[in-house]
Amino acid sequence: MRVRGANSSEFEDWPGGPIGEAGGREELNRLFSVAYEELRRLASAIRRADPKAMLSPTTLVNEAWLKLAGSGGVSWESPLHFKRIAAKAMRQLLISAARRRGAMKRQGDGALLVTFDEDLPAATPEGCGVDEILRLDAALDGLARLSPRQASIVESRFFGGLEVAETAQLLGVSEATVARDWRVAKAWLSRELRKEG
Amino acid sequence: MDPMRYGRLQELFHDAVDLEGEARERFLASVEDGLRAELMELLAEDERAVPLLGKDLGAVAAEALEDIPSGLMAQAFGPYRLEKLLGEGGMGLVFLARRDDLGSVAAIKILRDSWLSPSRRERFLAEQRTLAELRHPAIASLYDADTLADGTPWFAMEFVEGAPITDHCEARKCGLQERLALFRRVCEAVQHAHRHLIIHRDLKPSNILVSGAGEVKLLDFGIAKQLAATEDRTKTGLHLMTPAYAAPEQLRGEATGIYTDMYCLGVILYQLLTAKLPEAGVAPSAARHVAASRAAWSELDVLCQTAMHAEPARRYGSVEALLRDLDHFRAGEPLEARPDNWSYRAGKFVGRNRSWLAIAAAVAAMVVFYTVRLREARNEAVAEAARSQRMMRFVLNLFEGGDRYAGPAKDLRVVTLVDRGVDEARALSGDPEAQTELFRTLGDVQRKLGNFEKADTLLRDALEQRRNARGDRHPDYAESLLDLALLRADQARFEDAERLAREGVDLIRRAHPAGHPAIAGALEALGKVLEERGSYEKAIGVMDEAVALRTGSRETTQADLAASLAGLANVHFYAGHYKESEALNRRVLSIHKQVYGPKHPAVAEDLVNLGAIQQDTGNYVEAEKYQREALAITRPFYGEDHPRTAAGLTLVARSLIMQKKLDESAALLNQALAIRERAFGPMHPQVASTLNEVGNVALLQERYAESEAAFKRVVAIYRAAYQGKHYLISIGLSNQASVYMAQKDFARAEPLLREAMVMYRQTLAPTHVNVGIGRIKLGRVLLRLKRHGEAKVETQTGFDILSKQTNPAVSWLNNARKDLAEEDAALRK
Repeated sequence: MRVRGANSSEFEDWPGGPIGEAGGREELNRLFSVAYEELRRLASAIRRADPKAMLSPTTLVNEAWLKLAGSGGVSWESPLHFKRIAAKAMRQLLISAARRRGAMKRQGDGALLVTFDEDLPAATPEGCGVDEILRLDAALDGLARLSPRQASIVESRFFGGLEVAETAQLLGVSEATVARDWRVAKAWLSRELRKEG
Repeated sequence: MDPMRYGRLQELFHDAVDLEGEARERFLASVEDGLRAELMELLAEDERAVPLLGKDLGAVAAEALEDIPSGLMAQAFGPYRLEKLLGEGGMGLVFLARRDDLGSVAAIKILRDSWLSPSRRERFLAEQRTLAELRHPAIASLYDADTLADGTPWFAMEFVEGAPITDHCEARKCGLQERLALFRRVCEAVQHAHRHLIIHRDLKPSNILVSGAGEVKLLDFGIAKQLAATEDRTKTGLHLMTPAYAAPEQLRGEATGIYTDMYCLGVILYQLLTAKLPEAGVAPSAARHVAASRAAWSELDVLCQTAMHAEPARRYGSVEALLRDLDHFRAGEPLEARPDNWSYRAGKFVGRNRSWLAIAAAVAAMVVFYTVRLREARNEAVAEAARSQRMMRFVLNLFEGGDRYAGPAKDLRVVTLVDRGVDEARALSGDPEAQTELFRTLGDVQRKLGNFEKADTLLRDALEQRRNARGDRHPDYAESLLDLALLRADQARFEDAERLAREGVDLIRRAHPAGHPAIAGALEALGKVLEERGSYEKAIGVMDEAVALRTGSRETTQADLAASLAGLANVHFYAGHYKESEALNRRVLSIHKQVYGPKHPAVAEDLVNLGAIQQDTGNYVEAEKYQREALAITRPFYGEDHPRTAAGLTLVARSLIMQKKLDESAALLNQALAIRERAFGPMHPQVASTLNEVGNVALLQERYAESEAAFKRVVAIYRAAYQGKHYLISIGLSNQASVYMAQKDFARAEPLLREAMVMYRQTLAPTHVNVGIGRIKLGRVLLRLKRHGEAKVETQTGFDILSKQTNPAVSWLNNARKDLAEEDAALRK
């Protein structure tokens, strides 16, 4: 589990690996802010049914990269490296937001939480997105125990919008391997989601 | 499922997935029972090929990240209740709120999803603190702040109902003067922030609202930075700001400073003038939008383009400077920045040869003079117009070699520059008053350049003209006497200097009622002369009187008083009265802190002086503390790459050398060196002076190759800069010799020392302390080369010179004594 509790910072217990190599906490915080604001932008575009709502994770992460890279002082080794980490940030962000939202729903109108939730705008089809993403997260954690590489590929591609070629380069494997991994991982995850759903 | 089983399952999946029909059936039949069911499920999922999630990421985000938390509107925010959403930004939401009890309104800003990351929370609170610090009619003020029960922070601020400044001007079809008046107001607000050491960093029209009544309000300090905070390159906040207004250094992720806001102000001015965002290479006049004369446009181009110059160092140095030029423009006076920031350019070229800062100050004084002079004479209508034209031409000719567009020739030396100025000034014979002023100013520049004869002619001419025009009892004449007195002191003609200064003081005393500030000014000049003469006690008496006058006068500004006190502090310092000097410097410091705030360069200068006292009295740890404190002001104020920052680094490094913290010292010196190389080019004397320190530290560290290389460069630079003849070349040579002496290569040291001595003889008095040290060193070399007779002559002469100094260098004297004993012993044999 990456998230200790709804109130803790995402980066408090981020596991080692690429994140640790990426540089200081400062950089991560910065990345987190960028990811947050990009996601915010995307979310509000969708909500307003804006034409720009066609934004995909790919454009999202690319734009975040352009902004951060353009701001200099970024210690990311490469755009790919960045995208990989941005994908993680996106995932963390979405999951913790969804988790918090889920928790509040369950708590109903608890006194501490009157400011949030209870009734959502009717226009938004309730539930499936938030619950689904939480289940996907759990399934992805499960997959990581079986095949860390496949979990990594799914995370990069799904949350970071990395192309097959980019993912291959990043993980140092052939594109064919990425394609094969992606296919089986996706089938596996779909099965997991269906099982629970 | 375990990884092994999953691995096996995968293999089977890949084998099966491309098989069809019977082939697949056969394959499945061959699969072990335990995995078959799972394999079939996977294959079924693969065939369905549904996306992992029913929605794309954006839709999930839309759901997970709420728009407006629904219970929010019902919450009480202190005495306020939310009415409607005004806007949203990266950080949070802004609502219009109303006070239940008073009915007054406010804007309430709420940090959205505050639980997500501590850094966002910190940034939000930083904005709140900034607003609390800034109280200015053109800055939206903070009313209240608190946290909701769930931990969401919020603050209430002044609600500004208005339009972005650009929209306001368009809607009202404002004319040029109105636009400039509004812009001036914006500048004042930014100036206020800068005085509190806060850089806004996100100045743009949408953050500058103008109310219906025409009131300007600056908003959104969301990514503002405390200048005092150590420069943190990772926090430029770029990803949060609007690229069109980002200064080039922000885009490059480099350090930001007040110059960053200067750039944004330039962009806003450009927009006010053209109703467009700036395009590279398009002057505002080419995209004009408001009506103004051709001449006015040419001035506005300069104003605008100076403010938004790509190089931070060539922008207006402060909002004050920009405001001054705005006012010059509105009063029809020449701009200080014209053309292409010539004062910067002049400073740069003038600085080639001698103390960069002193000369830049002299040039700045010239600029101020023209401006003041022109403003004073403004009412003289036609005559004045002719004069300002002549003045402008004068300045242009002086610094541009007569051709503004060609720019100054690369080899244009300051001497040439000022000589040309003198020719120009002489040609101004139709305007004796202006001519006299020019003679005074140019004479002062020549004096600071060390061209005493030329200064002499100019200052005497000015004196003569004043005597003729005003008589020899007029305070203007007295002023000229004081100018000449300071020159005489520099010429080491101390008796003349003192006589002239006293005459000047007497005249001024007679011309003004007792207690007049002009008397204090004259006394300060006399004090300076006495100080140079070495009559410290007399100087102290005179300076004391000046300080008393300043203290007693109602007209004295705190800054004048501080300047007077600082002069007295200096005399005490030179007289070795460190306690008095320290107390005075502390007083100056507290005045400066009060007048300019705690982080002003004037404060830094006082700290440097206090540090120098500690350094001189051997308290190197204290010295380091002061110098570091000064640097902490200088560095963020001027920026990472400014020569002043380099000077500050050097002072810290010096305090470290004496504490034997050589590695740290070397690191700081190398930083200073890099800055100076960038600012002045690799062959500038300023670079040589830092290299000299670098070489000394390397020598102490016994890194001889590095030390030698540094001193060799020092010599090469000084040779080039001073056409082969200057005592600084000798210092470089003598230091290079020290490297060989440390390695016991005395034969190699000798010719260097000999050359150094020859040049000392041509450039310094024979009794100068450097000559003494040089001779003692040469004596040591000859002693080691066993040429005892020659050695003794050098050592003895050196010893005699040093022992007559007021502050003899004890370690050199001791060395000389030891060598003399050895030499005598050898000679007796």
